Amino acid sequence: MSFETPSSNGNTKPERKYYDRTKSDDLQISRTDMNMLIMNYLVTEGFKEAALKFQQEAGLQEPALCSSLDERIMIREAVQSGRIPEAISLVNALHPELLDNDRYLYFHLQQLQLLELIRAGRAEEALAFASATLAEAGANDRNALTELERSLALLAFPDPHTSPFADLLLPSHSQKIASELNAAILKMENQEYTNPKLCSLLRMILWSQSELDKHNVKYPKMTDLANATIEQPK
Amino acid sequence: MQQLTIFMDIESSRSYIDEIYSSNPEKLLEALVTLKNSVIGSNRQKSSVIQQGIVPRLLQLMTDDGLDPNIRLEATITIGSLAKGTPENVASLVEQGTTIVLVELLKVVPTGTKLAEACLCALRSIFQHPPAPIGALPADMRLLGRLTVIAREGSLTARACVVRILSIWCGGPLEQEALCAAGACAAVAALLAARPDAAPPLARALPALDLLAAMCFENASVSQVALTTRHGDKTIPELLMALVSRDKPLPVAMGAARCLTFIHRAGALSADDNRVVFGALPCLARLCTKDMPEDIRATAAETLAYLAEVDTSLQRLAAISNHLMSSLADIVTCSSSAAKQGAFKCFASLGANDEDIRKKIIETHSIMVHVVNGMNNQEASVRLAAVRCLHSLSRSVQQLRTTFQDHEVWRPLMFLLNDSPGTELLTVGSSTLCNLLLEFSPAKEPMLDQGAVEMLCGLTRRPEAALRLNGIWALMNMAFQAEQKVKQRILCCLGTEQMFRLLGDGDTRVIMKTLGLLRNLLSTRHHIDAIMAEYSSQVMQVIGPNNSLNVLRAVIVVLEGSYPAEVKEQALCILGNIGDGEKAKDLIMDNEDVLRKLVDYLAHPESKLQEAALFVAGNLVWRGEAGAAARQQRLADLGVLRALKLLRARHDAHHLHDKYDNI
Repeated sequence: MSFETPSSNGNTKPERKYYDRTKSDDLQISRTDMNMLIMNYLVTEGFKEAALKFQQEAGLQEPALCSSLDERIMIREAVQSGRIPEAISLVNALHPELLDNDRYLYFHLQQLQLLELIRAGRAEEALAFASATLAEAGANDRNALTELERSLALLAFPDPHTSPFADLLLPSHSQKIASELNAAILKMENQEYTNPKLCSLLRMILWSQSELDKHNVKYPKMTDLANATIEQPK
Repeated sequence: MQQLTIFMDIESSRSYIDEIYSSNPEKLLEALVTLKNSVIGSNRQKSSVIQQGIVPRLLQLMTDDGLDPNIRLEATITIGSLAKGTPENVASLVEQGTTIVLVELLKVVPTGTKLAEACLCALRSIFQHPPAPIGALPADMRLLGRLTVIAREGSLTARACVVRILSIWCGGPLEQEALCAAGACAAVAALLAARPDAAPPLARALPALDLLAAMCFENASVSQVALTTRHGDKTIPELLMALVSRDKPLPVAMGAARCLTFIHRAGALSADDNRVVFGALPCLARLCTKDMPEDIRATAAETLAYLAEVDTSLQRLAAISNHLMSSLADIVTCSSSAAKQGAFKCFASLGANDEDIRKKIIETHSIMVHVVNGMNNQEASVRLAAVRCLHSLSRSVQQLRTTFQDHEVWRPLMFLLNDSPGTELLTVGSSTLCNLLLEFSPAKEPMLDQGAVEMLCGLTRRPEAALRLNGIWALMNMAFQAEQKVKQRILCCLGTEQMFRLLGDGDTRVIMKTLGLLRNLLSTRHHIDAIMAEYSSQVMQVIGPNNSLNVLRAVIVVLEGSYPAEVKEQALCILGNIGDGEKAKDLIMDNEDVLRKLVDYLAHPESKLQEAALFVAGNLVWRGEAGAAARQQRLADLGVLRALKLLRARHDAHHLHDKYDNI
């Protein structure tokens, strides 16, 4: 159809098929469906090389790579390795309106920059940076203010890594922001789903189990998601 | 890549600002990218850049087609970012002619380029700040044609931008027709169409729904076009029907129901059409329910108010849909003024025509407390909506006597009307007064004490015909079977001159009500004499001794003028009332002009005028009163008897014979 744009890929199709099949009680899961889910995970999360390899080995069709996949990989790398100005510059080149529309996200990126300075022990620079740039966001948004306070509190400790706010310096924090940014970019590109579909499936399992638990139903429960361990009811 | 500074701060790195004026393209581009990165995300930086006077340079770079396209693009993106700053920032951009430059650029820049997209983004940001500079975008068919092509075929971002801009721009019939002619309906249909496997994404559907609503609002011909415009095998209403369903995101369902509502109210879909009855209405009722977010409920209630505003069958249907009344009663208690307003308006619509619904609203949901609170709300829009609701409920005779009385609703109402209200509030409020002042209403007395007469007399002097009408109408209601002191207060406050001015009003309805007022003032025999005497003397004091027959003069003016028959009938009835007073009779008998008019009207082809004239003559010559014979003789001399005989001979005047016989 002419009004379709190339960026809206066919990712949603296989999932729909999968749903239809469960509805008709045919519990056979085809290998293609599994492969598509994995491919969706790799593409959404930006594992480009893995995606291309997987396509070859599994004999899939051309993976529906988003136009922005390369850029998203670069941005994720920049964020996770602490090169925040570069990441911001890349985002602005890809989607100039994004960080103006989502000031909270912009604040998070700047906060990462601040944390980099603190990590490097450049306390004075950190304070100057915070008052020059982050204070603006803090003044407009209560959440941002709290987070800013938490970040600056790191400066009060001789060793920030042992402080109560050390979690901010862990790689998991920058990974979280990187994912947030990745999802925002995908949303900007009008992707229907900004999270991998495998995530949605796992969430669905957790939700169903909690509903069953609420009603005290006995059922085989998945207790470990990573290994898909299922315990029989006692 | 440009050097990345940690401090992307204007103050600390001024050098690149100078490079913005460089003639070296590379340095210029680099400086622009740095500038762009510094302003994106920070209002402080934006303000600083604008204060430094860089905007004109950016505008110049945008339009210079001798430059590297990337330089023009970065300049445009920077302007676009500035347009996402504070309202002051945007105002400053508009002042410096940014909108005009953007529009001019859109006329020439090839569609589908990044520059075109950046232009559209910037223009959209500017338009989203009220007041949008809509004047800068002319209804130029070539430009609109270009824009609709982008709306149909451009990139997703470009399409969303164009449609959003146009939805804000489209504010009147001129814009509606121009967009329709440029093919905007087809573009909207394309944006609303589902993809093979999913609904259209939010970012695409929402602006399109807003544009469609703006185009169809109160516009019959555009709505008609929308009705038949297709995308693929589906018409726009069919596309909308798919979007009002439960599985669609709430804002999309809301937008689609709003479009169907507007198309209905513009007259393109009838009130019993399935798409209204099973599409828009249930969707809106659902969006009003408790588990919806407050902003959605507010809009849904307001839209439903518009949907059901006039049609009784839709009002009845809505009243029993999805517990709507309970939902609305709950929305009234929400904190936001938009929600309160929407609920009041919706109650007003539901109760507009049906007494049972009004009863249900008041009795089962104890809404009157909220209405009174609403009239005291600090938000003007809420006060207006509460008065609208009160107006609708005041049509109920029973409620006037019970709930209205219990809650003393006239107190806040009179306060609002005396507190220099806007024209709209004054119009609705005074319409409500008309109802509150009906003779059976117990509110009449206390309202007099609160200065109702003075306020209403003031309304009759307003330039707006609707206000004059409400003022004189309410006075007429007030005078009906009123005590003499009330009547005198009205006469005294209104004044003769104003009475005459109203009798010469351009609006026939005002004249009718003025005559009605006169008639009510002169309604019982006892009052007639008192008023004619007192009024005359009062007038004499003010204007002079020869004006004692002012009421009569007023009547003559009407009888001689070219007024519709029902107006003249009223005038004759007044004459009849005067003729009923003992002393007042003489005023008529002494006035040959009036008597001659009477003879003329006895021979008038319009039977209701004949009847009225007969009523006057009957009162004048009523047997058993002093001087009846003399008056009879006088009338006979003037040809009344001859006129009566002619009247009797007419076979179509049987119903007049009874009256005739009395004479």
